[in-house]
Amino acid sequence: MRKAIAFALVAFVCIAGAVAGGASEDVYKIGFIGPLTGDNANYGIRCSNAAKLAISEINAAGGIDGKQLELIAEDSEGTVDKALASYEKLAYTDDVCAIIGPVFTSPALAVAQRCQEDGIVMISPSATHKDVTAQPATNADGLNYVFRTVPSDALQSDVAAHYFYEILGYRNLASLYAMNDYSQGLALGMKDTFESLGGKVVAEETCMVGDKDFRTQLTQIRAANPEAIYIPNYTVEDAQILEQAAQLGITVPFLSSDGFSDPEIYNLAPDFTDGVIYVGPAQAEASTILSDFQVAYGEMYNGDAPDSFATNSYDATYIIAGAIDRADIAEAGVDDQRLAVRDEVAATKDFQGANGTLNFAANGDLVASQGVYHVEGTTPVYVGSFQIVDGHIVQVD
Amino acid sequence: MLNFFQLILIYAGIYALMAIGQNCITGYTGMLSLCHAGFLCIGSYVTAIMCKTFGLSFWLSLPVAAIATGLIGLLIGIPTLRLKGDYLCIATLGLGEIIRNIATNLNPVGYNSIPRASLFGYQFASRNKFAFILLIWFFVLVFYILFQQLAHSRLGRAMIAVREDEVAAQSNGINVTKYKISSFVLGAAVGGIAGCFQTAYTLTVQPASFTFMVSVMVLCTVVLGGMGNAKAVILGAFIIQFISYFPQLTGLTNVIPAQAKQIIYGLLLVVMMLCRPQGILGRDRYRYGDPRTRKEKIHDFFSRPKKSAKGGNV
Amino acid sequence: MDTLTLYMQYIVNGLTLGAIYSLIALGYTMVYGILKFINFAHGDILMVGAFVGLLVYTALTGEAADPGVWTIIAFFIAMLISMGFSALLGVLIERVAYKPLRNANRLAPLLSAIGVSFILSNGAAWIFGTQSRRFPYPFANDPIRIGAIAITPHQIVIIAVSVIMMILLTFFVNKTRMGKAMRAASLDQATSMLMGINVNRVISLTFAIGSALAAVGGILASFDFRVYPSMGTMTGLKAFVAAVIGGIGNIQGAMLGGVLLGILEAVGAPLLHIPNSMRDTVAFAVLIIVLLVKPDGILGKNEREKV
Repeated sequence: MRKAIAFALVAFVCIAGAVAGGASEDVYKIGFIGPLTGDNANYGIRCSNAAKLAISEINAAGGIDGKQLELIAEDSEGTVDKALASYEKLAYTDDVCAIIGPVFTSPALAVAQRCQEDGIVMISPSATHKDVTAQPATNADGLNYVFRTVPSDALQSDVAAHYFYEILGYRNLASLYAMNDYSQGLALGMKDTFESLGGKVVAEETCMVGDKDFRTQLTQIRAANPEAIYIPNYTVEDAQILEQAAQLGITVPFLSSDGFSDPEIYNLAPDFTDGVIYVGPAQAEASTILSDFQVAYGEMYNGDAPDSFATNSYDATYIIAGAIDRADIAEAGVDDQRLAVRDEVAATKDFQGANGTLNFAANGDLVASQGVYHVEGTTPVYVGSFQIVDGHIVQVD
Repeated sequence: MLNFFQLILIYAGIYALMAIGQNCITGYTGMLSLCHAGFLCIGSYVTAIMCKTFGLSFWLSLPVAAIATGLIGLLIGIPTLRLKGDYLCIATLGLGEIIRNIATNLNPVGYNSIPRASLFGYQFASRNKFAFILLIWFFVLVFYILFQQLAHSRLGRAMIAVREDEVAAQSNGINVTKYKISSFVLGAAVGGIAGCFQTAYTLTVQPASFTFMVSVMVLCTVVLGGMGNAKAVILGAFIIQFISYFPQLTGLTNVIPAQAKQIIYGLLLVVMMLCRPQGILGRDRYRYGDPRTRKEKIHDFFSRPKKSAKGGNV
Repeated sequence: MDTLTLYMQYIVNGLTLGAIYSLIALGYTMVYGILKFINFAHGDILMVGAFVGLLVYTALTGEAADPGVWTIIAFFIAMLISMGFSALLGVLIERVAYKPLRNANRLAPLLSAIGVSFILSNGAAWIFGTQSRRFPYPFANDPIRIGAIAITPHQIVIIAVSVIMMILLTFFVNKTRMGKAMRAASLDQATSMLMGINVNRVISLTFAIGSALAAVGGILASFDFRVYPSMGTMTGLKAFVAAVIGGIGNIQGAMLGGVLLGILEAVGAPLLHIPNSMRDTVAFAVLIIVLLVKPDGILGKNEREKV
């Protein structure tokens, strides 16, 4: 028995080594870290799908420097230790030149630390927490390696609060948010700004990610009588909240965040989305990049539709591809490749992507305006993009 | 690949520490506890708070974490250990969930950018895995020896007596409650120390990583290796981590579906339980009053087949 | 809105949740009653039941059918097929993964059950993907207002179906020959065997009934919970807690425990003025307190240990 097990292990490692050793060197490797299994896997799968789509488009057009791009997607299961293992594999075994992800904030914080230390570009499509881009650059050159194509939640909640107060004219809001970095960050940020403007959050209810029953919270909110309810959560929770609110006879409008941009919501709660207003990514008016992307994504993945994080991931892939293209690294070693790619990503200027014009601030944060959407029936209607200028909200286009 | 193998060694070391703790509770004393995720959580938080908020040394956080986790184990142990078998299991499971729920409610982001541990001016950076392997496996060795000694001490023999037959142990004058609580506290403390190392390596603490599944995994580690056998649970920790990361180790992640390793886990558990419910190595054979000399023992150890011929009882 | 109405509303909400917990808890309690082990895979059978129900229902009615008589009939057909499928699955799992371990140490079947649970939930994630799916209401679901209290038809259906299932089960266990055999086997397997009871058949039947009830619970839960591969994990855990609170091995206890836990989750946090995100802490704290005060649960028999 013992010998058999030992033999099996050795044989397995040998075969595995043979498989792993067979990879070709004529490619540029890009890593992806996100949850591919577990409850929130749909976010990770969509983001990795979008990145794969971008890469297949680039490869179909002949690749870069005559080399093909390859995306290596690793599962983080949404946890820190698995994300770090994925990082180790991408950074040291696969020698990737840049990483897209991680998708969620806590893994992103852990991986960002390592990326800063080891000097590998990381572009997160969806980690919104303000600290993600605040990791100190601990590499030898003191350069920043962490970027994201999603606005910091500080920006989003600011625009949200101003929009609710100044344009929609609400004075009393309630919020119902999940205890996770994403939802809590947005809800507390929105509350701060909203109350500093003179409004009041009359009821602040919390839940856990994965909760299914929100009737107690909604009953408490109903008793507080707000003008509208802010629900910056993931799709599944939002769908349940909308439906259970209708069942409890709550008729006030709901406000939400970019988590709502996931079209899945219209499958989960099609009868209850009418009238929801949410703050999400801005769109470029005159560009067809977004609609082309959505069509191509639907064709490649059996009619599935991308959410805003997948769109961010698509843009991130093109930003990295553009950087590889501009940098002259066809013959360079891994470390030089990574450094050159970083310099080019940091130098990205007015990148035209699916989310309009993108620029990075010095700390890697996205310089962007925020879009506002009104849902009519099951169709989000784009209202316009907004920025905060001198403490007031201004429509940009 | 070598680098990734080193990573597996680090994670296996952390799991081995947890498994040694769980083995003390479940293997020696026979109590079915499912809250090692909670102990790991407390240990991780102690290190995170001490190093990050108060700027204290990592080494100082080790004893503090052990004491803190041990105290929690004591507080919980005194009332709940009156419960038997599956009731204890479900109560401790509830406890683990309570700890995670409270941690999440305190701060769902947890802690990040925790300062690194350093020793005589040498900083344990996460990329220098070899240093971490030495550090963690040194502690695994220390606790292995400690618990091996414990198992052969008066305390350990009393614990095993409690496992084998509580009533008989009691009628032989063994204070069952006292030994149950000692075992629970010791096991919890080692779990806490595992948390310290996890934090030192990941430099990030996130409440969502301490789910009930972690407790289940630790229990599986112990049963898979062989309950009550410290060597076996360390082997179990290695196997569990190996399966957990084999798609990444072998570069097969893009080839096989992401769920495959979980399904393999499941199959492995079922098949193991059907074929070898006592675990890979089975229970440790304790030789009380072994008549052999040290030389004979060494000789017997290296010529295994003859082992059972000479003395030694189960 | 006055406090009384507020609490009435919480209790109505909690009853719905409690009814689902009760149904699932029945499966745990029946298996525990006979085999004395925690069937960790029970929650995943619930998930399989929900998926089968959803697939059959959508196959029968098409994607977006308007609620009518046919959808209600289709709903019950789907429920019956799902019950049958889950019952078979439950029996199969018992035969393959638990039966050989009946005389092994106590941990072996527990870990085997955990293994089965991994296989089921990850297998479902592999086949169906991890996204949640909506179970469409087979009937019009406009809320009914009684004063300031709102209740929807689906909540009434959940409570009604649960009550009917529990009455049927109680009748079966107490009044039929097979039920008597089941009670006998849970008291003492060896003696029952000597009395000519086919214990293997009784155990298979227990798994069949428990799994069928889980399927009903899964389908009813999917209105509120949605259908997704890990839906059974936390729901199953809560239902098991309910069974323990009520007194595991006791059918009335499972029902009582389920309803208590449901109401507790709805009322606990507002009553104690703590955030609702801490409702799990309240639920598990109550579990521990109940176990400390009455180690065998509220309705459990306090058995003296035999030497």
